Amino acid sequence: MNSPPSTKSKKANSGWHRRHDLPWLVIFVIPAFIIVVAVQFYPLAYSAFLSVQDWVLTESQVPKGFVGLDNFAKELSDHIFWRAVRNSIWITGGALILEMFLGVCLAYLTMGSSWRMRAIRTLLILPMVIAPVAAGTLWRILLNSRAGLVNHVLDMIGIKGPEWLATADGAIVSVIMLDTWQWTPFVLLVVGAAIASIPADLLEVAAIDGASRWKTFLHIELPLLMPLLLLTLVFRMLESLLSLDSIYSLTFGGPGYSTYTLTYYIYTLGLRSFNFGAAAASSWIFMLFASFSIGLVFWFQRKDW
Amino acid sequence: MGRNKSPKQRLLALLHGLILLVACLVVIIPLTYLVINSVKLPREFLTVPPTILPSEVTFQHYQELFEDSKTLRHFRNSLTVTLWTTGITIVAGTLAAYGLARMRLSAMILAGVTFVFLFIRFYPRVTTVIPFFLVMREMDLLDTVWAIIIGQLGITIPFVTWLMLVVFQDLPLEIEEAAIVDGANVWQRFWRVVLPIAMPSVAAAAILTAFLSWNEFLIASSVARRKASVLSIAVAGFVSDKGIQWGPMAAMSVVMIVPMIVFALFAQKYLIHGITFGAVKG
Amino acid sequence: MKKLLLVTLVLLLALPFTALAQDQPHAGVEIVTNFMESGTYDIGAEQLEPGFEEMTGIELEIVASPFVVLVQNNITDLSTGTGEFDVISGDFWIGSVWNQMHPLDELMERDMWEPNIIPGLMLPGPSGYFDGKRIGIPYSADAYGLIYRTDIFEEAGISADWETWDEFFVALDALDAHLEGTDISPNVFAFGAYEQTPAIFLGMYDGYLVDSEGNYALDHDKAVAALNQMKSLLDYNPEGATGLSIDEANSVFLTGKAATMICWVSFVRADAQNPDASLVVDNWATAPFPGPGFPFLSAWNMFISGLSENPDAAWEWVKHYINEDEAKRRFVELGVGSPFLSTYEDPELIEQYSHDFPNMVHNLNRAESVPWIFAAFEIFFRHMGEFVIDAVDVETMLANTLADWSELEVPEGLVQSAAAQGQMQEG
Repeated sequence: MNSPPSTKSKKANSGWHRRHDLPWLVIFVIPAFIIVVAVQFYPLAYSAFLSVQDWVLTESQVPKGFVGLDNFAKELSDHIFWRAVRNSIWITGGALILEMFLGVCLAYLTMGSSWRMRAIRTLLILPMVIAPVAAGTLWRILLNSRAGLVNHVLDMIGIKGPEWLATADGAIVSVIMLDTWQWTPFVLLVVGAAIASIPADLLEVAAIDGASRWKTFLHIELPLLMPLLLLTLVFRMLESLLSLDSIYSLTFGGPGYSTYTLTYYIYTLGLRSFNFGAAAASSWIFMLFASFSIGLVFWFQRKDW
Repeated sequence: MGRNKSPKQRLLALLHGLILLVACLVVIIPLTYLVINSVKLPREFLTVPPTILPSEVTFQHYQELFEDSKTLRHFRNSLTVTLWTTGITIVAGTLAAYGLARMRLSAMILAGVTFVFLFIRFYPRVTTVIPFFLVMREMDLLDTVWAIIIGQLGITIPFVTWLMLVVFQDLPLEIEEAAIVDGANVWQRFWRVVLPIAMPSVAAAAILTAFLSWNEFLIASSVARRKASVLSIAVAGFVSDKGIQWGPMAAMSVVMIVPMIVFALFAQKYLIHGITFGAVKG
Repeated sequence: MKKLLLVTLVLLLALPFTALAQDQPHAGVEIVTNFMESGTYDIGAEQLEPGFEEMTGIELEIVASPFVVLVQNNITDLSTGTGEFDVISGDFWIGSVWNQMHPLDELMERDMWEPNIIPGLMLPGPSGYFDGKRIGIPYSADAYGLIYRTDIFEEAGISADWETWDEFFVALDALDAHLEGTDISPNVFAFGAYEQTPAIFLGMYDGYLVDSEGNYALDHDKAVAALNQMKSLLDYNPEGATGLSIDEANSVFLTGKAATMICWVSFVRADAQNPDASLVVDNWATAPFPGPGFPFLSAWNMFISGLSENPDAAWEWVKHYINEDEAKRRFVELGVGSPFLSTYEDPELIEQYSHDFPNMVHNLNRAESVPWIFAAFEIFFRHMGEFVIDAVDVETMLANTLADWSELEVPEGLVQSAAAQGQMQEG
């Protein structure tokens, strides 16, 4: 079993597949394919069309015409666009590191089926249940520099809490904290499920072998968990980049442009200014990055296929 | 493990407990504060220092919430949307993942199909809600829960498909071989052999899908008006152009948490199935 | 004979129905009206719904949406030609679709309907106008205001009779000296709600908002002076004021920790007189909002969508909702600022709101709306936020704002609104 699963699968695969399975398997895929592609295809294609059109809905009822890559050029030379990109990188980068680390640790620490662990696990995933808008406002109260619980607690232990939401750095840290608080449970849940799927006897064998816990983790569990960890990483990264409701209600993108993220930027372009051409172009720039990240994960996983 | 623990083990156990305690506190304290806020009088918000224990417990925010006939409708709509979205997503996503995992597609094609799914999943929705709105208008689905469900499925199915694809790919094919020898068809193998083993991940996927659907705001707010309006829109309604109604918002947030806790507790049962298939692997 | 009898009978039976039908020319028609979900305007509408339906036979559907969703829905609905809403709630935020609204002058003339609304509010700007025609009628009115603690002012021997910000700052200095050693600050403002900071700027600035070519612009020198003055207000604010949201700033005042507050008065009026929520009951009053600029106006208008298939039925609802008695009731019960003069002339209310009314009407009469679409507003308040937290200096802030504004086009309806309110550059 210490050999990668791929070699085994391939060997088994050769004599295993039955031709008459194929129609069934195709039928399995069809519903999902229809729902996802059929319903989402038009909006997406439309958005691709818009990215090369000059169209501000509030100035004109119909697109004003083809402008080539002008929208893209304009976005890429817009200083606010880059400011938003920088903010997004800071916020998502910070949140991602914390979430992955804490999530994996907690997944291990809450392993097991005792009622106590079950209760703790249920408790720990609760932050995800709160509507992002409400979570943002809740943390607004908590981080309030005068009347907030966080600074009150800090005060009690003799630390003067910072102006969380009134400074650029404070606001970024606040958004990172909110994202981490709300979404570490996602990592915990997915990784926890993956750990639960690792055959227990595998670990027992390793234990009998006298492998230390750390070595077992490094050589047996980590390789098995890797695909899922990568998936979680990419999902959390893109989700965090796309998050809007919580930032909207926690900092409103501010102060100034301090927590104005790329998604916030696209949102303002698209649904506040109705500048469809520019919003579509920025979305495709975002997708270029997203595609790259997804591609990277595929590349890491490719040996498994 | 023996009954007599070494000092080192004791220390580790203590540390383990301590970390979990801190983690739980970090989750519980804000949530408790939310609950406290929901029973606070308006004047006790934003006091300096913060009012941790309200001088007087009031249920006025809850009372107002439940006296409003719209709350029930929002609740029903949210429940309908979440149940259908989760149900359809889990069935369609899991089946699709199994199909893709066992089709023996070339790596390139498989990657291509998955990529299309994910591309659709992560395309910034703020840019597609208006075209989506127009599609729903043409389908005469505006202000129906189905418009919301269809919109959300575009987000949830790709996630579940990818998650389960990774899980199924990791399952050794040997475990299905015994079933093949027994003459089981592909459906039977999926249902009786593969699914039970993958149950923890299915449960995790279901929990995540339900949470996402329950709280989803953007799609819902762009196609729902009145009849199909949901809780996540209502909770945003406490933020007006001139301030926030903290109390009612806290009360509604608390109300919104309850059904999801029930669901999470229910799904927990499957999260720890932990079937061993070492025997099959030999 | 029998036949004749039958016909007569049928006619007689039908009579009441035709009479009814004449009373209810729109019976059975369905109209949709929207409001911001706020627990005020929307609730006011719900309270009227049964009576209106019974009286007119019109089936009314009220859609209440959160603020952001409302703006988005309105613009989407009109721009895509969807036509879901017959009566639309909005103000300058939806100025870009004002060209799509149904003109109301003829309807008003036809029905000789002249609501007794504060004259200033019926002018272009506060009221929606397009191409010289009325398209919107205000149903709420709230001017940015300034409230102060009467007890503290009395102790300090200061009177709240300023006309300009310079005079107000003199009062603040006096308050500062008087309040030395207490934890009460001379002023509080929600600097942390940076979408609110333009309100102060507009009060201090008396230059143009749209240049002679119809683009978003500002008079450089006047803007710099106003921006600096705005920031100097921070010196009189409590520590950490750059983090205060609207509610937080309000609570500073309500807990007695500030001598003056610049705010939306409608949002504190009720709480300030409620012993459960306030420590300053009967110890506060509304002051004149200083000039030379204007108090920023929030006046929700009702528009009839140009896409409405039943503009006449929609008009019935507009007249029903924008109503003197209802406006008074909404003011008293829900705290909605009334646009009707009569509310402020009501003897009972004058007595009850003696601390509030005179200057409120004064401020309302001077109040103006702005010609900013959301993008223009956002560019301005975000750059201003950068300036407030000291990330950029005033010149950079102004230069950045103007550069970003140059990408925008002022919708025709808002150019007209700016011109009518004297917010255009001369020449």
